Amino acid sequence: MSGTHGTNTTAGPGVGPTPPEATESTGQAVARPDAIEAVLGRVRAIVPAEGVISEHSRLRTYECDGLAHYKVTPALVVIPEDARQLAGVVRACAEAGVPFVARGSGTGLSGGALPRADGVLIVTARMRSVLDIRAEDQRAVVEPGVINLDVSRAVAPHGYYYAPDPSSQQVCSIGGNLAENSGGAHCLKYGFTTNHVTGAEWVSPDGDVVQLGGLAPDTPGYDLLGAVVGSEGTLGVATKVTVRLTRLPEEVRTLLAGFASTDEAGAATSAIIAEGVVPAAIEMMDALAIEAAEAAVQPNYPAGAGAVLVIELDGAADEVEHEFAAVERLCRDNGAFEIRVASDPTERALIWKGRKSAFAAVGRISPDYIVQDGVIPRTALPEVLREIAHLSESSGVRVANVFHAGDGNLHPLVLFDESVPGSGEAAEKVSGAILDLCIKHGGSITGEHGVGIDKAAYMPRMFNDEDLDTMQLVRCAFDPQNISNPGKVFPTPRLCGEVPGKRKGVHPLQEAGVAEVF
Amino acid sequence: MTQTPPQSSQAGQGPVEVGMPSLMGAFDDHRPPDAALVGDCVHCGFCLPTCPTYVLWGEEMDSPRGRIYLMKEGLEGEPMTDAMVQHWDRCLGCMACVTACPSGVQYDKLIEATRAQVERRHERTAKDRALRGLIFSLFPHPRRLRLLRGPLRGVQRTGLDRWMRRTGLLERLSPQLAAMESLAPRLGRPIPLPERISAKGPRRATVGMLTGCVQGEFFPGVNAATARVLQAEGCDVVVPRSQGCCGALSHHNGREAEAQKYARSLIDAFEAAGVDYVIVNAAGCGSTMKEYADLLSDDPAYRDRARAFSGKVRDISEILVELGPVATRHPLEISVAYHDACHLGHAQGVRAQPRELLRQIPGVELREIAEAELCCGSAGIYNILNPEPARELGDRKAANIVATGADLLVTANPGCLMQVSAAIERSGHPMGMVHTVEVLDASISGVPASELLPPQRPERS
Amino acid sequence: MSETRASSRATENAAARRALEEACGRVEDATEADLVDGVQPDLVARPTSTAEVSEVMRAAAAHGLVVVPRGRGTKITWGAPPARADVVVDTSGLDQVLEHAAGDLVAGAQAGTRLAALQEVVAGAGQRLAIDETVPGASIGGTIAAATSGPGRVATGTVRDLLIGVTVVRADGVVAKAGGRVVKNVAGYDLGKLVIGSFGTLAVVTEAMFRLHPEPDARSYVSVPVADPAEAHRRTQDVVHSQVVAGAVELDWSAGAGTLTLMLQGVARGVEGRTSTALRVLGDSATASTRAPEGWGRYPWDLGATGDDRRVDMKLAFALSGLSDVLTAVDAAGVPVRLRGSAGAGVVYASMPGDTDVAQAGAVVERLRATCAKHGGSLVVLDAPAAVKRGLDVWGPVPALDLMRRVKDQFDPDHRLAPGRFVGGI
Repeated sequence: MSGTHGTNTTAGPGVGPTPPEATESTGQAVARPDAIEAVLGRVRAIVPAEGVISEHSRLRTYECDGLAHYKVTPALVVIPEDARQLAGVVRACAEAGVPFVARGSGTGLSGGALPRADGVLIVTARMRSVLDIRAEDQRAVVEPGVINLDVSRAVAPHGYYYAPDPSSQQVCSIGGNLAENSGGAHCLKYGFTTNHVTGAEWVSPDGDVVQLGGLAPDTPGYDLLGAVVGSEGTLGVATKVTVRLTRLPEEVRTLLAGFASTDEAGAATSAIIAEGVVPAAIEMMDALAIEAAEAAVQPNYPAGAGAVLVIELDGAADEVEHEFAAVERLCRDNGAFEIRVASDPTERALIWKGRKSAFAAVGRISPDYIVQDGVIPRTALPEVLREIAHLSESSGVRVANVFHAGDGNLHPLVLFDESVPGSGEAAEKVSGAILDLCIKHGGSITGEHGVGIDKAAYMPRMFNDEDLDTMQLVRCAFDPQNISNPGKVFPTPRLCGEVPGKRKGVHPLQEAGVAEVF
Repeated sequence: MTQTPPQSSQAGQGPVEVGMPSLMGAFDDHRPPDAALVGDCVHCGFCLPTCPTYVLWGEEMDSPRGRIYLMKEGLEGEPMTDAMVQHWDRCLGCMACVTACPSGVQYDKLIEATRAQVERRHERTAKDRALRGLIFSLFPHPRRLRLLRGPLRGVQRTGLDRWMRRTGLLERLSPQLAAMESLAPRLGRPIPLPERISAKGPRRATVGMLTGCVQGEFFPGVNAATARVLQAEGCDVVVPRSQGCCGALSHHNGREAEAQKYARSLIDAFEAAGVDYVIVNAAGCGSTMKEYADLLSDDPAYRDRARAFSGKVRDISEILVELGPVATRHPLEISVAYHDACHLGHAQGVRAQPRELLRQIPGVELREIAEAELCCGSAGIYNILNPEPARELGDRKAANIVATGADLLVTANPGCLMQVSAAIERSGHPMGMVHTVEVLDASISGVPASELLPPQRPERS
Repeated sequence: MSETRASSRATENAAARRALEEACGRVEDATEADLVDGVQPDLVARPTSTAEVSEVMRAAAAHGLVVVPRGRGTKITWGAPPARADVVVDTSGLDQVLEHAAGDLVAGAQAGTRLAALQEVVAGAGQRLAIDETVPGASIGGTIAAATSGPGRVATGTVRDLLIGVTVVRADGVVAKAGGRVVKNVAGYDLGKLVIGSFGTLAVVTEAMFRLHPEPDARSYVSVPVADPAEAHRRTQDVVHSQVVAGAVELDWSAGAGTLTLMLQGVARGVEGRTSTALRVLGDSATASTRAPEGWGRYPWDLGATGDDRRVDMKLAFALSGLSDVLTAVDAAGVPVRLRGSAGAGVVYASMPGDTDVAQAGAVVERLRATCAKHGGSLVVLDAPAAVKRGLDVWGPVPALDLMRRVKDQFDPDHRLAPGRFVGGI
């Protein structure tokens, strides 16, 4: 369960990319070798030649996503150009019983886009048109390959932006965001992808194209859109996404506060929330994370700080000014020794740059590391941080902490050096123990990176068999063949029983009252 | 499932897995792409949206992350396939990815090492070889370029060039040669520079000046302007007659030995001149000259001298900001779109200085270009070797430039000027295009802004 | 023959009742008060815990009983009437507020807890669950099942934006949880989304966890009369694209004209400033008040009306650019329609007289529905007198219905949870 780089690790038992022998024993469907040939033949008729990749060295460049720890070379990579092509590829897979995995920009940190050796990787990177900007409706309709930040860029002239801002927003795609229910630094105030997507054109795993939600809210019927957002590619693929646009705030104020310790920074966070202020973001970095950020992008954070808070307030000018004064006061009351206020967009960008590049920046201070993602109740922050420090001391494994303090979403970066024997294993152990801490405190094993392949094995620690079984009822409804990104999210697939024939509407006999369906 | 190579083996730096004969891999032992640098890539993907070819095609293999992955495959023992070479060849070397990378991956070093291996180990097609041969027997040689000037000027004066473009004759013979022709600027009269020019007012520095190959022959006005501005700002300017090519084109295209040869000669020429700084007005040349220390790191005779030389190299905009303005700037009422040349912005990190210089001129209104980080498609000789993507990128850049509504496009590299002017001409929105230093020269000399704009062309009869 | 059948039925019923009584301490004969939109159930079970609900559902499953879940019964006539109702599972006995972690801004309660009771608890810490109580006395579970919303949705969203964890009991009695007690959580499928607005057809919700918001220091209301659909549309657009950051943008509309009211909330000084801004944006005829106008947060019909006294109550949703068209269609309905709702969110409620001729009511519904559909939205008939409701397409056409049926088939393969109440006869 790790975001390592440069390590030669294979997946643990029952967790990772399982070879065909193993998958059979877990009930996972495995495509017949000739099935992929059948799909290839059909795909060539649907997708232009340059969008069909079957040469070995090229295929290998797709063998991992942002979590390079897990690698599987796909049998075939297809890059469709439009919804029709994409649906055709899915249908070809469905009819041949071949698994498929959808991928956007390949930046996910849970191995959610890890390919299948017997399957097709469907890449949405060529479906990147902003189809419709409807400022009057506060909506935009985009293709799934459109980059998150490009939505905001496209709608900025209308005075709007797209609120969810994962750290990778300059590269991650809207389709990937939808699959992962991506959050970001500003979700404390604005929520997650699920709160900002109102509709999707959806290719179900049998290749049917359906409309979920739409321009208007509250579509009657089951909220299938709500179900597919965050389903990590296991319920089908989006071909169009309707997103809610948010008014650009009148005022944005960003403050950087230096504290001697994470305890004080945590106390300041709690005090701000208790005051009734909901900042757009409260981010914390500890000393080690600060060191990494300084090495990478020189944000010039306060020297000697044991922790910094990046706090951003936005909204109407009067409000922001008042709340900002309160935040400043509460930071000082809780021991901030230096407070800096960004006076222009450049300074604001620099403060954020240190935070947003923190994951990759850790590469500057450690050859290898694991990016962890867990959630705890915000009030448990000081205690959990102490426990993490204790774990770190007792194991000798260094842990840098970067996190969304406002909503208790921790991103501990567990450092190690693969060239030192046993170092990787020790790091894995600490990383796993941190997740157990999150569960112990009533939190979650993932706040925004998703379960993917990486944490499927941890799901039973958070949910019991009945919970997981019930979730998989949804999967069985959408994907009874279990071909849409199989092996992700759930440690063991649920057998969907008899695959029901597609029943359109009520059976005529049932309608006539002659027979009842049981 | 694959395994990454161990970070080290008993062989020390051996990039190939233990027990795997190195013959099988894509690379040989002579300066292969460094496995440790490859390992710096954490696969985060932040480079993707800044990579011109990824922006065009959306393919992993045509992104920096994918190209590094191909190198990794090669280091792990995969043979050098045509596919790999194709994707490495398609890299423009714009280094936008180096700017974007939060992990500090030195892609520039990786792609240069890879290209050198490709040139040595990969069999190219006869046509490709011939074209590359032609380019490298022409561009790095000012004298040969000078010979070409005559015929080109003749062709342009007679309108033969427009006829050739219209008929597409050249395009049919070879799209690459057509690209070469279409990029050639409308040529002005060459202005020879004296070997030594004295500072106006008190001398503040003695600087050497690189005249360059393409810059010197195709854009002589830029060199003249550079010399005048340096002079006006209090510099003694030395223009060594013995200087030749800096080796940038060779260096960026894997012709390592050739690049090293050029580098040694240039170091010799400027050492002899005894200058405080070596001033460059072509971004591609400047970035290579700043890398001489790496290029000659295996050469005991030149290693230290190369480091000292690289330390003296300054882009014209850098030195002018470092020295600070003394000459009076006369107003120029003009709106300017500044285009970051990749080898200035991404490779040298010089972005603020040209803007600062332009802003210092009263009346100049500076406008930013959307997708500023994206390469215009020039990329040294890329637009000649890969005309289709280069053209697409050029058109995209032209559209973004035209959208600024500025009167004048300013940039600091001859390749960009050629590429962008061709694209802007295609777009049907002609605008003035000059080097940063030409704007400064106009301001300091008190020349009216209209001189920087294109003449009203009477050609539509 | 029929007597034999009847007696075996009686035996079976007795066995079923015994099973239910073993499962749950309180099982009673249903009375007329337990009618589910005109459908008479036999029994009412009143479990007091999730475990009891599970036992009740197992017993019902074993005996093939059709179950209609009920909270406080305030919206029991909404939607289509169920095809059958053997037993009502009444959750009013699950009325405990389970947790309020003020520092974490979260609270949880059992499904039968009244929304107001939860609000009272969290108000102690200056917090609120940002769901308007549009139907007085409603329970948490009923609010989830019917997905009701009010003026505040413009700023803080609806149940789907606030529910962070849910415990449900399936038709087969299996208890399952999804989500958790932290706001940020992407582990597993979000089952909460599926039960929101499902009218009890998928599972019985027994516990729910919500994120909370701080109670604002101050509120103000700025109202402006709007003389026609075009003006209502223009003023709404002016407001939503301005920087007044309205917490609500409500339109009250009847007889071709209405009033647009903004609610501004936040710190006192900020509200003061934004009130002035709003007055400026809305022009000379706008007025400000610290008190909400009459009928604020209430649907435009009498919630106490039952049987044939009910009006034809509708929910309309549309993209914001459709407001003018929708109002024009309302004005052209040919019957007096009262409309109130969130012009700022594109979700409004409307009602026409209950004695409207069935054919005419049908025509009005179809015309308004077509207008909403043209603007990317929908129309649902929430309630109507029985005779009228029978003649109406309550839910209208629903996209992805086949997938919805497949979901229903997985959760409730025997279709024993409120069958027929929901879209497409689900």
